[in-house]
Amino acid sequence: MTETAVQTMAPSLANDVTGRTMRRWGARLGLTWIVLLVLLAVFAPFLANSRPLLLKSHGHWSSPAIENLTPADVIIQAVFWTTIILWKMPVSLRTKILIELAVLVSTTIGALVWVHPSELVIYETYRQDERAGNVEKVINAPIPFSPDDHQRDLEDAQLKPPDSAHWMGTTENSADLASNMIFATRIALSIGFISVSIAVVIGVIVGGLMGYFVGWVDLLGMRLVEIFDAVPTLLLLLCFIAFFPRNLYIMMAIIGLTGWVGYAYFVRGEFLSLRDRDFVQAARAAGIPLRSIIFRHMLLNGLTPVIVSASFGVASAILIESTLSFLGIGLVQESSWGALLEEALGVGGTFYWWIALYPGLAIFLTVFAYNLLGEALRDALDPKLR
Amino acid sequence: MAQPILELRNLTVAFENSGREIRPVQDVSLSIYPGQTLAVVGESGCGKSVTALSILRLIPMPPGKILGGQVLLDGRDLLTLSERQMRDVRGGEIAMIFQEPMTSLNPVFTIGEQIVEAVKLHQHVNTSQAYKIAEQALHDVGIADPDKRVHEYPHRLSGGMRQRVMIAMALSCQPKLLIADEPTTALDVTIQAQILELLRRLQQQRGMSILLITHDLGVVAENADAVAVMYASKIVEYASAFDLFDYPKHPYTEGLFRAVPRLGDSGGRLTAIPGAVPNPSRFPSGCKFHPRCPRASGDPLCANTEPPLREIAPGHWASCHHIEDFAQKPITRPASEAKRPQGSLAT
Repeated sequence: MTETAVQTMAPSLANDVTGRTMRRWGARLGLTWIVLLVLLAVFAPFLANSRPLLLKSHGHWSSPAIENLTPADVIIQAVFWTTIILWKMPVSLRTKILIELAVLVSTTIGALVWVHPSELVIYETYRQDERAGNVEKVINAPIPFSPDDHQRDLEDAQLKPPDSAHWMGTTENSADLASNMIFATRIALSIGFISVSIAVVIGVIVGGLMGYFVGWVDLLGMRLVEIFDAVPTLLLLLCFIAFFPRNLYIMMAIIGLTGWVGYAYFVRGEFLSLRDRDFVQAARAAGIPLRSIIFRHMLLNGLTPVIVSASFGVASAILIESTLSFLGIGLVQESSWGALLEEALGVGGTFYWWIALYPGLAIFLTVFAYNLLGEALRDALDPKLR
Repeated sequence: MAQPILELRNLTVAFENSGREIRPVQDVSLSIYPGQTLAVVGESGCGKSVTALSILRLIPMPPGKILGGQVLLDGRDLLTLSERQMRDVRGGEIAMIFQEPMTSLNPVFTIGEQIVEAVKLHQHVNTSQAYKIAEQALHDVGIADPDKRVHEYPHRLSGGMRQRVMIAMALSCQPKLLIADEPTTALDVTIQAQILELLRRLQQQRGMSILLITHDLGVVAENADAVAVMYASKIVEYASAFDLFDYPKHPYTEGLFRAVPRLGDSGGRLTAIPGAVPNPSRFPSGCKFHPRCPRASGDPLCANTEPPLREIAPGHWASCHHIEDFAQKPITRPASEAKRPQGSLAT
């Protein structure tokens, strides 16, 4: 019997919940927005790039955009296409994850060894060549500006309101806002997912051990949770940022390390009720090892509230990053919506509406999308609403 | 006489509850022989389930602890094994099925995944071989289309089917002893009969022993070779099923029988045992049954001295001060109907 036939016969809990979640328009809307952001993040260098996608000059074709992909771009492309190919493949989830990890590791090594974009970046050359008529044919990206292209060849490109050349206007240092917005989706998505993953892993382990063992493990664990709960996250973040370099990964780690408390509470509560359930005792009576009982048999039953609150957690991680960037202590190298938002208020109190509107809207819509998804998931997983 | 598969010697289990220690199982000794079904009967709260869980060391520790005694499986004391060794015993040599089939299967795994996990733990086989074993086990317990059923989730099965799955899972590793903790209590009567019949058939095929924990005397009469009656943490009577049903010696056993409706009895009220099982934190002095006992009636001996378990007739043990005074029926009976227990209490 084929796998699909079995699945139609007995829909698994996961399929069931996915189906019920997706029946809600809010969830579909939220998911559409997030998928759109993922596509923008993956194809950012092809959507917004000062370098032409295809260029024919002196009789031969070249692609400056592809030649100058960063190692990160290459890794993202590899992972994205592997995911698309594996999506419908009839192999088990474990195999898929293993293949995905293998691709990730091998392309990371490969990209770091072989991919070396030129260190000296002069975006103007392409535009100057084009204007001088040195190229026979050129295909530019839809937004022909890189996020850090300060357009030094153009007079007065600073703080332009939206027009046909710059769809969302330009910023104070003459960078194209639309281009920055697209590249900022990478930060928004990755900071949400990775920091929440870190928080969930810590929360599940701490909460699971507390809920299973109760007694003194629970007592110590709860005190740890309370200590972390009592610390104001933003204040802790500010302190951390004062001591550590401003780096995306450090920021993810900090948001993750301070955000696990909620998940630990949830998992502990679930485990406290699960540990006395008959199937847990039946599993113990069958000689199943403790690790499997806690992290397979019990966890899969108690994951529901974690999944729901994780979707809200992603939203709040994005907000935290935006807040930090808005306060001017966020990331320096990468574009981020919060950092862009900060530029809306110029020197001397001038208000540039386009710089406020687009990043603000993007943050709002993304947080809203995750909340819609979380709410739909919660309703789909709630047995009382079935 | 054959060696017992499992022997409990003076097992005593205690629970600590906010500083106070209670003993739901005291000084329990039992033997189960190969191929035998031993029933442990008693009201709720008399300690029968705790006894069963203690054999597999499944009582929550803390607050529970095993104060003393031995649990000998083929002469090996399970109480001295490491947790790692104990895991091999659980599900491998001793399997257990529970009262609530509706909740004893994990809802997020297919029944195949659950059986296969146990099979792979105890037998060195790969996944596809384990699925074969699982399908065979499901077939053995009378589930149609086992090759399709292994891929189903528990919520698609009825209570009787789930108990069959539990039995299949328990028996997939060929245990020597099956502990069945009220296996039919949650099922309706026709399904009960089917499940008991199934257990009997599988027991005959495999020659395994069954420790049957129940409060249903009908189940005992149908299945058990020997019966131990438990009351308030102790065994008060032990005999072959025939002896016990025909000549109950202990007033508690008599009371249990009088409380069961009989086919052919016309009307009238059933005789209940007055009072309730005492809470383990407030066991009465002397004979624990004396406040409810029709024989005691103010006898200071009953109120002050706990009667020892003694052998009244060959293979028939009971603990009561007044057995001889109240022996209404002859103890001997025709040999033709005898199906003697294969052993007696551990001594």
